[in-house]
Amino acid sequence: MAEPGRGRGVVGWLDSRYQITSLIEFLRHKEVPKGPHSMVWYYLGGTTTFFFMLQVITGVLLLMYYQPGEATAYESIRYLTTKVPFGWLMRSVHCWSAHLMVISLVAHMFSTMMLKAYRPPRELTWVTGYIMFALTLGFGFSGYLLPWNKLAFFATSVGTDLVKSVPGIGNWLLNVLRGGPDVTANTLYRFFGLHVVILPLVFVGLIAVHLLFVQRQGMAPPVGAKVAPHGMKFFPNFALRDLLLWLFCFTIVLVLAVFLPYGPGIPGMDWELGQKADPLAPAFPGIKPEWYFLWEYQLLKEFPPHLFGLEGPQLCLLLVTFLLVIWALIPWLDRRATRDEPSPGFSDFGWGAILFLIFLTLKAWDIGALQSVDSPASLKVIARTCALWTLAAGAGIIGIRFLVYRHRWFWFSGAALLHVALHGLVGLSYLTAGAIAALFAAIAVIVPLVRSRRRTATAGVAP
Amino acid sequence: MKALSLVLAQLCFCAAALAAAEKPAPSQKLSDLLTTKGGDGKPVVSPEQRAYFDGLNDRLRDLLNSAADAEIITRPDHLGSILALALRPQKMEVLLQDNCVLCHTDPEVQKPETLFVLSGGSNKPPAHLNLRDLVDDVHFGRGLSCAGCHGGDPANAKLEHSFVKEWPGNGRDKNRDWIPPFCARCHSDPGFMKDFNPALPTDQLAKFKDSPHGKRLLEAKDSRAPQCVSCHGVHGIRNAKNPLSLVYRKRVPETCAACHSDATTMAGFKRPDGSPMPTNQLTEYRLSVHGRAVLERGDFAAPACNNCHGHHSAMPAGLSSVNQSCSLCHAGNASLFDGSKHKQAFEKHNWPQCGQCHGNHPIMKTHDGWLEPGPASPCYKCHDEYAKDNPDCSPSAAYFYTSITQMDRAWHRFSETAEQLAMRGLDVDPIHDKLNDLADNVKQARSYIHSFSKPVFQRVTAPGEQTVQTISKLVDDAKSKYRARQIGLVTSIVLIGFVMLALYLKIRSLER
Repeated sequence: MAEPGRGRGVVGWLDSRYQITSLIEFLRHKEVPKGPHSMVWYYLGGTTTFFFMLQVITGVLLLMYYQPGEATAYESIRYLTTKVPFGWLMRSVHCWSAHLMVISLVAHMFSTMMLKAYRPPRELTWVTGYIMFALTLGFGFSGYLLPWNKLAFFATSVGTDLVKSVPGIGNWLLNVLRGGPDVTANTLYRFFGLHVVILPLVFVGLIAVHLLFVQRQGMAPPVGAKVAPHGMKFFPNFALRDLLLWLFCFTIVLVLAVFLPYGPGIPGMDWELGQKADPLAPAFPGIKPEWYFLWEYQLLKEFPPHLFGLEGPQLCLLLVTFLLVIWALIPWLDRRATRDEPSPGFSDFGWGAILFLIFLTLKAWDIGALQSVDSPASLKVIARTCALWTLAAGAGIIGIRFLVYRHRWFWFSGAALLHVALHGLVGLSYLTAGAIAALFAAIAVIVPLVRSRRRTATAGVAP
Repeated sequence: MKALSLVLAQLCFCAAALAAAEKPAPSQKLSDLLTTKGGDGKPVVSPEQRAYFDGLNDRLRDLLNSAADAEIITRPDHLGSILALALRPQKMEVLLQDNCVLCHTDPEVQKPETLFVLSGGSNKPPAHLNLRDLVDDVHFGRGLSCAGCHGGDPANAKLEHSFVKEWPGNGRDKNRDWIPPFCARCHSDPGFMKDFNPALPTDQLAKFKDSPHGKRLLEAKDSRAPQCVSCHGVHGIRNAKNPLSLVYRKRVPETCAACHSDATTMAGFKRPDGSPMPTNQLTEYRLSVHGRAVLERGDFAAPACNNCHGHHSAMPAGLSSVNQSCSLCHAGNASLFDGSKHKQAFEKHNWPQCGQCHGNHPIMKTHDGWLEPGPASPCYKCHDEYAKDNPDCSPSAAYFYTSITQMDRAWHRFSETAEQLAMRGLDVDPIHDKLNDLADNVKQARSYIHSFSKPVFQRVTAPGEQTVQTISKLVDDAKSKYRARQIGLVTSIVLIGFVMLALYLKIRSLER
């Protein structure tokens, strides 16, 4: 026999059975840290969640017509977008919200990085977010193939081919991923399963864990911020603001979906259905992945076929894995943030990473290319133009950080800009320039460390 | 374990020894030839030639040993030139069994006019003495070597000459009329030819005899007239499908032009009307739609010289044969012309049918402007002169022009609109289907001009005009749908805006 609830009506009825009053009390007392710091960054997790919800809703609607299969996938999407009422809108909203979700997620991740919100006790919140970011990229990659059109087919062929570079088990992995040695209907079924069942299940589970962590630990204020004794109430104040922002995002998605139904026309952000995939047709040149994979695509191109006894793609994969592992381990590496002290080196590492990604992405877009894109002269012009753009962006970022945020630590972003300048302006190869820049960054980090240790040691022996 | 290793090592050693023993060693003479050094201290037989020799099978090694021992091959450079051919085994076997070739490739024995050599660097042998051409010859490939035409015994180690009775001996370079019957000994014998190529016709000589070329050569004994060798070459004859063949479709115009563009050769030849035979056919053909298709795009659906004039029975195109030649490909237009009023009018004036408007060798791409009223139009030029009194001519041509250009412009306009609508995410498949229909209508209308009849022409333009109206309606529908989307969006934004405003006011009231 359930105990009588404290409230009346539905709440009382529910409380008598599930004791929800404690939950309501928890939410009623939950607060978002308030102070002189900007609260804008607290909303990015919410917008990412909103875009994910849009993905789920439009995805379910698309699923009502989509039929996976070599003979039906393309046809069903074509039917959906041309004949089904509002089918075009569902697909367009699905695609736009997918890209906006990635943008929002990247912004959320970098804001967390810059504000050091990953510091203890929130390390696992960072890790769950990191895994969700990887899964989001997985969503993008698996969903790209589902329309079974020409571009998707060849992009998936090229993309999955990279798996071969994993030492030892590369070919086996490729077979597992593709369901055979080539991209076939088996690959389509696998990617369909991944996209609509496996990834969503894992993702929803991780969102639950991520939100649970956020609810239990609260939102992190910036390092050293003076937080007011009473923050903003989560319910209803912050939640209503979240809702307002979500409605704004929804309006933006609708406008984009109506006026640019196939994307903005930027390579890697374009989802016109085009022609059906033909596995027997020759691959056409200039196949590029989605924009968030472009940096890796370009990095692969910068590696020679063989280097240090390894294959170029293998070495590239090794480098990317190394960088991603460092990114995942940042909460444990950033010792100053652990002590709630500012860690400008890690902030600058984040900015350096942004400049690194900007340059590679611009280069993958062939900014400034001459008529024959792949000619040596054109490649030089592309490298120079992209370097100039990146240097301009870098100078702007450093200037703002210096003047507005009073940052004084720029060694990593400086190394990233040195890399870009040596490659694009001086004409060194990307890897040689990278090695020089990495050496520069390493010296910049190690020398002060050694000095500070010596100083500590000297202070220790002093009377 | 150690014992097992020893056994395995011994087995490997034995296997290697056996393998080495299997290949017959070159005879002393052949070995000497292979190792003889030149003035620069290096072996005359190059490393590539030596590598080819090392890969030869036993049979070919035996044949080379025999040739060296019989002193048919006596010089290292002679051996080198044979090995440099790097022929596949079957062909090399034919060559090494043929003492004619072996002897006629020996620079020590032969004079320059009878020595077959490889071309390379500055060394350019006459066309009929190119050793590479000889071994690539279609006859050589089928086992027919020198003796097949010239006679004699290729196995004769004494290297004596013995010719077939048809071989003309001296004076054969001046009077070439012996060549067609000489080739026809085999090529006009179906029983003989079926063993080599049953699909090859055997009536070449009969056709040639009836042709102006044949009559000039065989009856008038004019050696300027071509014979088999003029077009097919000698000692390097290849299948017509081989791009190196002189009669490969892309090379036919130049092969014919070797004589027809040479003013000296063509001097004195006249056309049926008595005018001198022109020599600018190749120049005109190169600029024509047919010439550009064949020579630039490699489109062999377009004709070369022989497709209109014939080959073994090559004829100048007469008035009726021009029409026949064109109608082989342009059957629809020819049929329409045959049923038109122009057919009789042209015959009355003794005009070539197609050629009167389109020309013969310099056939240019047509365009709708030909129908436009004005002095540049071929229609108006003729009609002003020959059919001034016909009241239907000019209005018909103007109607053709207006009708076609209207449909064409509509096609371009709607294609552009369809592209814009597609970029806006609208379903343009029905529009594209109709645009394809309209493109067909325009194409047909351009062909139906050859009927020179308004009612016949209207059979294809009436559905075309109907299609234009259908497309126009489809485009309007698509535009309406897009407008509906925009209205829907604005309505949604207004509704969402109200909710957002309400939320904003609520937040303000909470935080006041």
